[in-house]
Amino acid sequence: MKCSGDIDVREVEELSINIDPIQAGGRLTPEAMKACIAYGDGYSVCDYCLKPFRLDYIKKPPIAEFHRDLAEWLHMDEVRVVPGARRGFQAVASTLVEKGDPVMLTALSHYTEFVSVEQSGGIPREIPTDEHNRVTADAAGMRIEEVMREFGRPPSLLFVEHVDYQFGNIHEVKEIARVAHSYDVPVLLNGAYSVGIMEVDGSALGVDFVVGSGHKSMAAPAPSGLLAATSERAESVFRTTKVKGDLTERTFGIKEVELMGCTLMGVTIVGMMASFPAVQERVKHFDREIAHSRLITDALLSIEGTEVQSEYPRRHSLTRIDTRGSFDKVAETHKKRGFFLQSELKKRGITGVIPGSTRVWKYNTYGLTDAQAQHVADAFREIAAENGLNVT
Amino acid sequence: MSQRAVDAVFQALFLLTDIRALLRETAPDHLLDDEQKQQAARTLEKVQKQISILEKELVR
Repeated sequence: MKCSGDIDVREVEELSINIDPIQAGGRLTPEAMKACIAYGDGYSVCDYCLKPFRLDYIKKPPIAEFHRDLAEWLHMDEVRVVPGARRGFQAVASTLVEKGDPVMLTALSHYTEFVSVEQSGGIPREIPTDEHNRVTADAAGMRIEEVMREFGRPPSLLFVEHVDYQFGNIHEVKEIARVAHSYDVPVLLNGAYSVGIMEVDGSALGVDFVVGSGHKSMAAPAPSGLLAATSERAESVFRTTKVKGDLTERTFGIKEVELMGCTLMGVTIVGMMASFPAVQERVKHFDREIAHSRLITDALLSIEGTEVQSEYPRRHSLTRIDTRGSFDKVAETHKKRGFFLQSELKKRGITGVIPGSTRVWKYNTYGLTDAQAQHVADAFREIAAENGLNVT
Repeated sequence: MSQRAVDAVFQALFLLTDIRALLRETAPDHLLDDEQKQQAARTLEKVQKQISILEKELVR
């Protein structure tokens, strides 16, 4: 079936259980789907954009109120919506990092964090992980000391993942922020896998910035995200334009420099807004998501030769699994080679595992119903047993 | 201008979106329990009502 021309209807979510590692938390709520039907036109939220002509002042639809609610929800002072978490990283790095400045990232930082540092001319330095693939405050302190020795000054910014994209591990952000602040280093929390998934309290974590992803974790269309700041940091990162045309002498009101004026102006913002009540509610039930994650991870671990590379027991729905000792052994002789696993999952109505993966791969169980989680767990065990692997 | 027709279009699309959500919740087998079946039946009845409004407003 086609949407239009050569564009197929995307019916993955209607026909299958999707455990794709990056897609799970961004599936739209029915409320967001309905809002997108009504607000598909380009400047659809701008019908009532009145003076001072800025997105976060629009009252109809209630975008101004949404900004206030987001800030309150995250226990931060100011929030702006941005076209994806990466634009949040970019805004902060552009504000705080000068050419030649050392910037602290982690061994699990996303490439967009690195690129934001590169754009600003900063020099990345990484905090290593421990043997459990976790970033610790001790390691952060050690690396800041090394940077002090190397550069003669502390890093101008520290990025830390709340939950990293590689292992889905939860890192000791509060302790890392405390260490960073003892050197006067501002801290940016990368909440791409936590904001909208689990409860996040920026104030309790003691961070200066919280960045979230709408399309990854807030059931919103892409590209969407948020950048939250403390009042102290908001002043600089959300500074307004001062530029003036030399011939026309035009000035540009209160447009914010780092945001390049308005950011999300159609389905992205209304989708985020429409999903927000459900998102606020779902983070309170993260324990249910953990139960599903553990059910499926334990089913995989019941297959002899399988190991989990993420921290265990699981505390998040994103998991990295090592099946070199199980499914990859099957792939060595199976006529479909490494594609057998994806093929077997597809037969059972499960999608989202990268085609050809039988070695080290990731899955995300977020948002499944109890029945769907059980179906996935049973499917892995069944596929293993049918292919001669021992299942305990 | 037919406000009634416009409302009926959106209402029908929203109701069908609820059916879409039900398909997602019950994927891949779409085996609905009794409560879900009742919910689907109620929603489809409402969709038909909206289509009747559209026929009345635009076709007859």
